[in-house]
Amino acid sequence: MKIPSIVFLSILLLPAWSFAGHRMDMDSMVMNENPMTLPEGCQRISGDQKITVHAGRKHAKKFPGLVFAYDRQSWDVAPCTRLTVRFVNDDDIRHQFMVHGLPEKIYPQGMFTIEVSGPGEETASFILPPYKKTYLVHCDIAQHTEHGMKAQIKVAGGDRDLASLPGLTKAVRPDRYPTDWTAGSIVSLLLALVAGVVLVWGGRRLLKAMGE
Amino acid sequence: MTLTRLFYLLGIAISLSLAWIFFPGPLTEAGLSLPSTVKWVPSLDDTEDFCQFEHPEWRQAQSIEGVEIEEDPQCKPDNPYLVASVVKGTDKVSMPTLMKTRLAMDAVVKENDRDGDGDPDVIHIKLEVAELNGSTPDGDFLIPGYRIAPGLTPGMWVFVPKMRGMATVDAVNLDANPMLRAPSPPIRVEQGDTIYLTLENSHYFPHTIHLHGVDHPYLRADGQGNDGVPVTSEKMLMPGERRTYEITPRRPGAMLYHCHVQTDKHMLMGLQGLFIVEENRPDNWLQTFNIGAGKVRHRSAASRQRFDQEYDLHFQSLDKERYLPIQAHNDPRLVARAMNREYDITDSDEDFFLLNGESFPYTLRDSLIVVEPEQKVLLQVANGHPHTLGLHLHGHKTTAIAADGVPLESPVTRDVQALAPAQRLTLVLDTHDDGLHSFGEGAWLMHDHAEKSVTSDGIGPGGDIGLVIYRKYLGEDGFPKLQGMDLVPFFNRWFYRKQVPVWARSDEWAIFSDAAPLPPNTIRVVIAGLLLGLALGLLVALWRDGRKGR
Repeated sequence: MKIPSIVFLSILLLPAWSFAGHRMDMDSMVMNENPMTLPEGCQRISGDQKITVHAGRKHAKKFPGLVFAYDRQSWDVAPCTRLTVRFVNDDDIRHQFMVHGLPEKIYPQGMFTIEVSGPGEETASFILPPYKKTYLVHCDIAQHTEHGMKAQIKVAGGDRDLASLPGLTKAVRPDRYPTDWTAGSIVSLLLALVAGVVLVWGGRRLLKAMGE
Repeated sequence: MTLTRLFYLLGIAISLSLAWIFFPGPLTEAGLSLPSTVKWVPSLDDTEDFCQFEHPEWRQAQSIEGVEIEEDPQCKPDNPYLVASVVKGTDKVSMPTLMKTRLAMDAVVKENDRDGDGDPDVIHIKLEVAELNGSTPDGDFLIPGYRIAPGLTPGMWVFVPKMRGMATVDAVNLDANPMLRAPSPPIRVEQGDTIYLTLENSHYFPHTIHLHGVDHPYLRADGQGNDGVPVTSEKMLMPGERRTYEITPRRPGAMLYHCHVQTDKHMLMGLQGLFIVEENRPDNWLQTFNIGAGKVRHRSAASRQRFDQEYDLHFQSLDKERYLPIQAHNDPRLVARAMNREYDITDSDEDFFLLNGESFPYTLRDSLIVVEPEQKVLLQVANGHPHTLGLHLHGHKTTAIAADGVPLESPVTRDVQALAPAQRLTLVLDTHDDGLHSFGEGAWLMHDHAEKSVTSDGIGPGGDIGLVIYRKYLGEDGFPKLQGMDLVPFFNRWFYRKQVPVWARSDEWAIFSDAAPLPPNTIRVVIAGLLLGLALGLLVALWRDGRKGR
């Protein structure tokens, strides 16, 4: 076997792999890492910001009805910031920090992803565009987003708030729960009922007075 | 009340009662001429191509990284790069090969040739749990989307090999990626190997794995439960947790693995798969996962020695009432209440019937048994239905050589092979045209002869119909060359939603398609209108009379 072939095969068989912003090993995967290339409209990197994001079951416990979550649901970032994400997976299963809506010219499919295969962490950077926009962050493992692992990054204040962010925004399609008639609800109903009667009675008296 | 007013009220009541009687109902009696027939014209947007596949080169026999992969000429063959990855181990194949799959690097790790026979003997297998067609708080759609037939998206749960990346095809197409599908994939291991089967519970409900029929100790050496039963051997595995089951199976045979939490729901939601222990042979590199079941493209040494081909056939069924909670609610508390306490399997009736995770006509794309004359084909069949499966192959009588992994002393040759729920049969399909085992070449139907199984929600042909098809009846695109009914209606997304007449494209469609609706009977319309007008007039008169009186 020729030497170049051996080198080529050795590279292919390495336990870890790195190519054009992608790297992967047994523990984690990063897609579309970009610490250097400026998005269109950015003259320079405006600054460096580092965030640590924890993901897992325990972070959802403060949100009734949710199962998985990040420890935070929204981050504010200045335009053209190089954001370094330290992503810590506190579960024994896979989780992802996946950002959508980035310029496809430098981020294939408009995505930046860190995936950690089990308990552990991975760090990677990407540069945000200059425009006022809100970017979706989520875990795209089946039903993880739907059960709480969803957040947003707002550049220059963002252009909106995304729906169904745990503790921050309402669902587009909220669940319905059994109605519980509490003592307070019954008192409210009775007071409203009396108010209705008083309104009719008072109105009649008023009309009568006006007629006289 | 004055007498006049009483008359008014009586008049109104009589008029309304007569109007109710005369008002045209939903059905109108025909006159001398019967209504014309409505011709069904399928919309192109609603009708799929018979064979949609972007990798025809995957059908060829090929060698990838030294792994020999058999030809699979049907429309949608398995990904050969995935086959190579699970044969060699996901940590051993090159990155370009692994990147053509969605497998995680630690999904299948093979090591340690303990007996020096040329194949690895310590195998680490990792599984996740995925929900298909579940609800979302972000809108009225199901995610990740998975169709079992055109227009049909029942909710399911499946075991899947540990993956990497998105659950969906991409950021725009929210259908499940091709690896994320039913059935839970058949797993192959070698007799005497030590298997570490790890379940990473990526789902929002608790689960376990029970190795049904597979030789396994009740407890692991460290005392951890190894039987997968929450009532007896271990606690349920909660969301976000992982557990490893450890086995060294001593006997070969076709077994099963399934979730043992609330078995009447979890197993029948799709958490069940074939688990096949192959005979120990030298240099026996196995295809650890057979995604989507069907043809085994890299067979065991024993199978290659004794048979010409091998197929996995997994039959299962779904009940609308059982899976409805995962499509109606997001909150797992609501799902748990609806599924565990409101749903009652003793009142249930199955609605959808699947062969290898799909129903007819999708089974024509990737669940064909493609044969040549004079072959011996091994069929590993699992009955995941809650009813007895009567497996019937047209044009053939198969021979059962093992049941539940135990060789039969007297092999049984039948044209209906019966399998009890959860039972496995190892069958030999012999295509020698001898009038017993085969009646000759053709595109022969294969199905469960419990007749409801050949429907989808009562619409037929559907359900678990497949084909044993001789090569000369297969088109160049891998789709069967058939000469029966026009298949267009079956590939229309409204057909299985009961919106298309089943014989709409037959030669005599005018006899069998829908009759046009009739206009209501004119006399009844006039009488009803008059009576309603009368009632209205009397009502006005009553009101005016009342005002005058005041």
